[in-house]
Amino acid sequence: MHGRCLTALVAATLILAMANAAAGVESASVRLEDPFDQASGSEIMRAVHERHQQYPHVYEEQVMVLEDRLGHRDTRRLRRFTRVEDDGTVRFLLLFDAPEDVMGVALMAIRDPSGVTRQSFYLPALGPEFIESSERSSSGYFLGSDFTVENLTGEVLEDHLYRRRRDERVHGESYYRVDVYPADADPQTSSPLRTHYIFQDTLFIARTDHFDDLGRVERRQTHHDLVPVGAGVWRPNLVRMDNLRDGHKSFLRIERRVFSADLVPAERFTTQWILSNQPPLSRIIAAVEDES
Amino acid sequence: MISRLFLLGVRHQAPTLFVLVLITLAAAAGISRVQVDTSFDSLIPADDPARAVYQRIANEFGSDNRTLIYIRDDALWTPARLASLDALQRGLRQVPHVERVDGLFNLRTVEGRRGRVDAQLLMDGVPETREGALAARDRALANPLYRNNFFSEDGRVTALIVSLEDIEEKPDASARVHDGIETLLDRHRGDFEQVFQVGPPRISVELTRSLFADMVLLGPLAALVLIGAILLFMRSAMAAMLPIITSSLAVIWTLGMLGWTGVPLNILSAMIPALIIVIGSTEDTHIIAAYFRGLLGKGEEVRLDAVRYMARHMGLPLILTVMTTALGFAANLFSNIGLIQDFAIAATFAMLANGVITLLLVPMLLARFGQRQPPAGFEQKQRPGLPQRIVRLFRVSQERFPTNTLAITAALCIFFIWQASNLYVTNDPLSYFPEDRPLIQDTQRIADDLAGVKIFYIALEGEHDRTFQEPANVARLAEIQRFIQRQGAFDASLSIADHLAFVHREFGGQFAELALPETRQLVAQYLLFFHRGDLEQYVSHDYRRANIVVRHNINDSFTLNARIRELEDLLDHVAAPDLRVVITGENLLVNRAAETLMLGQVKALGLLLGLIFLVMSAMFTSFKGGAIALIPAIIPIALMFGIMGLLRIPLNPGTAMVAVIAVGIAIDGTIHLLARYNELCRRTSDYVGAVHQAVEEEATPLIVSSLALALGFGVLLFSNFTVVAQFGALAAATMLFSILANLLITPIVMARVRLVGLYQILAISVNKEVLQQSPLFAGMSEYQRRKAVLISETNDFASGECLVEQGTMGRSMYLILDGHADVVRRDEDGERVLATLGPGDVFGEIGYIRAVERTADVRAAGPVSALRFDYERMQKDLKFFPNIVAQLNFNISTILGERLADMVGTSAKS
Repeated sequence: MHGRCLTALVAATLILAMANAAAGVESASVRLEDPFDQASGSEIMRAVHERHQQYPHVYEEQVMVLEDRLGHRDTRRLRRFTRVEDDGTVRFLLLFDAPEDVMGVALMAIRDPSGVTRQSFYLPALGPEFIESSERSSSGYFLGSDFTVENLTGEVLEDHLYRRRRDERVHGESYYRVDVYPADADPQTSSPLRTHYIFQDTLFIARTDHFDDLGRVERRQTHHDLVPVGAGVWRPNLVRMDNLRDGHKSFLRIERRVFSADLVPAERFTTQWILSNQPPLSRIIAAVEDES
Repeated sequence: MISRLFLLGVRHQAPTLFVLVLITLAAAAGISRVQVDTSFDSLIPADDPARAVYQRIANEFGSDNRTLIYIRDDALWTPARLASLDALQRGLRQVPHVERVDGLFNLRTVEGRRGRVDAQLLMDGVPETREGALAARDRALANPLYRNNFFSEDGRVTALIVSLEDIEEKPDASARVHDGIETLLDRHRGDFEQVFQVGPPRISVELTRSLFADMVLLGPLAALVLIGAILLFMRSAMAAMLPIITSSLAVIWTLGMLGWTGVPLNILSAMIPALIIVIGSTEDTHIIAAYFRGLLGKGEEVRLDAVRYMARHMGLPLILTVMTTALGFAANLFSNIGLIQDFAIAATFAMLANGVITLLLVPMLLARFGQRQPPAGFEQKQRPGLPQRIVRLFRVSQERFPTNTLAITAALCIFFIWQASNLYVTNDPLSYFPEDRPLIQDTQRIADDLAGVKIFYIALEGEHDRTFQEPANVARLAEIQRFIQRQGAFDASLSIADHLAFVHREFGGQFAELALPETRQLVAQYLLFFHRGDLEQYVSHDYRRANIVVRHNINDSFTLNARIRELEDLLDHVAAPDLRVVITGENLLVNRAAETLMLGQVKALGLLLGLIFLVMSAMFTSFKGGAIALIPAIIPIALMFGIMGLLRIPLNPGTAMVAVIAVGIAIDGTIHLLARYNELCRRTSDYVGAVHQAVEEEATPLIVSSLALALGFGVLLFSNFTVVAQFGALAAATMLFSILANLLITPIVMARVRLVGLYQILAISVNKEVLQQSPLFAGMSEYQRRKAVLISETNDFASGECLVEQGTMGRSMYLILDGHADVVRRDEDGERVLATLGPGDVFGEIGYIRAVERTADVRAAGPVSALRFDYERMQKDLKFFPNIVAQLNFNISTILGERLADMVGTSAKS
């Protein structure tokens, strides 16, 4: 019975394919109706956001690999804590675990509901104090990598203007393409900051081309090793950023990901907790022993 | 054989012309393929191991080849000017082959104050207010990493650093980059008080354009000078036109060869057309002078006879001089600097090509179109021209004070050699241009306001990863930089130590001073604030290697190399024992090649002199001949090096070649002199007279050609390149010195020797059997017999002519080579033929031994050719050719002994 059904399905598919070919109709047109066929860029981005930003508490153990133009690689191990509060406040904390010289370095960013981001650093070697950093720094490269803080925390929809471009098919995959502009920009006269390539089936951003002020692709961010983490919700286990100007590459590999409020309690995003827990004493002892 | 070769173009005009036209057409087709090489690479020895080290370090830390855009404006920090600067920086990024542009609008800085540290762009967009602009200026000037590198101390000057893709393999890429930048700068010139670019593309473009300008200017100018000189001295339009025809063809052949073989044209080979015209003309001058001499004979076929005369007298000297001139250029092949090697290949080919063309074409043209009468005044010796006046002036010294003249010359040489000890070497590409050139002035302006555009690296390597995260090692970098600052020779240096000190200060608060972080952890944590792109010029990814970037504006290799040696001494101390250190940079490699240049030229000169000595010794079958040939070559060189030392003219790729090239050319005059002297010696025992005659005959072509050479080389003074102009001036001076050496010193020395040319020995045409059977040559090898013939005089007698006259005193002995002669005794009864002598017979031997009256006439019974052995001459020659003359004397004794024995036997019988 099962085999018969399968045969019938294959036959039906073949017939349909032949019919399509004969009619000269694009394969896209025979798919199920595209719910975003008439959607604007903003609508697509909102749908993307709603589908994939469903988990407010995320804990990740990451490995960041920096590759220079000669192919030399440096590896950093870090933990990332993300917490979205009910009022829309986003808290973001990165803790460095390796190499040992940067163990305990912390980067904390808090974006309030109004979209203002406060950012601060903690360098254990400098002493027990947090150093504030301006919001403007968040658009700069992040700790030697080719990522900016914004690349890692995600963009705030309200801060941007989206313009849909013609869909594109690359290597058999169909993408929505959405250009991103600053909220106050006039898309008619200015160049986009970046273009997102969004899988049409999963609404996941597969690739983002970041442009320089001349409209040339400066960096290309791609997401790989996508894994489903819920109903229709996907997460990449590898984020790659190619700096096309310098020939640098940055890879962010997620080795462990847990969606749990327990692992990202609100107190973790306080300077007190960081100063008293980072770097962990046990790890310092282990590092010293390793070194000796 | 040489004469036959010389007459090839005359005997086979159509085939010769066909071959010449064919080669010329093939060469002309290759001209469009000629490549131009103005890269710095050609200034670095190909086998220099430091080149590989540099390439490795440049690969890791980035190339030091960058273009700097200089922008000066008193109102630079205003929104309007900054908007223009922003537009300029954006525009530059769109120029083809531009990889990145660093400047005010993309430089990042770290700014710390009151518990905050912001890592941000120096200027994130054009400020809208004057205050915003001034705040950006303050941020920029507060950053020690950028002060003097991107901004002048007073903030009125800023720089944009343009990094390019690797364009070495892309033809015309430099020109595209330069022109693209220049077009953009033209649009912004009204926006700023001053804006210009300096960097490899501009240097390359200026080198290329100047090179072509040189080629267009120098060749025709040299031709004009040459025509003028020849018209003035030789008064013959034909004599002026022939060198132009041959050299034009040689230029086509040479450029064609460069095109087909891929040997590039460079700033030195741009002077080749001028050199061919100038140097090639000397051969033409000599052979045309010989043609004119040939016209003095009154044969039936005036032109052809003159050409034959020319072939007989000039064939060998022409080949020899072409060879020595070519050798002079070829000696430069031993230089391992590509620039000189490529020039040597082109110039050597050019000289040989010109020789071949002259050999084939000039006799042909003269035989067909040559003038039938020598120019007016050519044979009027009673109205001496300038050459004769010079010769007579010199003869006073030669005859009255020969020893003093030699001593004064020797003293002069010693003085100039002592002056030559002040010589210094330079190979800096910017020193190729004159100082008043805008490029050089712009380079100086950058050095005055910022730091020099020349860069070298001090690369250090530790034994393990993260060496340069250790504060102690970072401190060593800082120590080296402090030494560089104390030296005062270099403009600026930058390393990871500067970056760390700067961040440390910013994290330390507004009152903190520049100091290095004290722990490895702090170093590592500070480094997180830099993007890798900001650091990769200063430290390797694993922090095992560090790099100090040093900027300077030193234009002479001598100073630069001396300062680098000081630095190396310090590095030996600072880096030991665990750090390996290397100082490198393309500019440094080029400058270091200066020492190789000096060594290479000393080797080439030694080799050339040795080769000429050997060739000349072989040619004149005597080491003395070889030594004499060197005298007029060495004297001008000694004077030239002395003048360089005296006037502080550096040894550079241009001037370094003068010596070997001048030797190759100066020796030509000596060869002509010695060849003529030898020829004359065969007909006279008055060697001093022979010297005078040789000098008088050769003086005109020698002086004319040397003056033409001097004027032609002088033309190079109009070159766009200092190195070429210096080459021209020194070569011109050396040519003038060679007149002095050839006409004043060579005759004094020449008169004291007697040479026999190998070519004469080989070319001698005598009946072998006659010589073999003659008792006079008993016990001699074939070579010795031929040489003995040349030591003697060859006399030809017409039928009935007296070889020896009865009753006269004579100290000559004869050997009949060809024909018959009657021994006739005259007395009161009339004449009696006592004997008839034939080939191989010897007579007059008694007179040779002792001055006695000839007892009979010896009269030619038909045309007779006889060798004459003069007693006095043989005594003179004894010191020059002791073995041969001693054997001859021995054989004469034997002949006399046998005659005596015969006489005694005859008396006893009677």
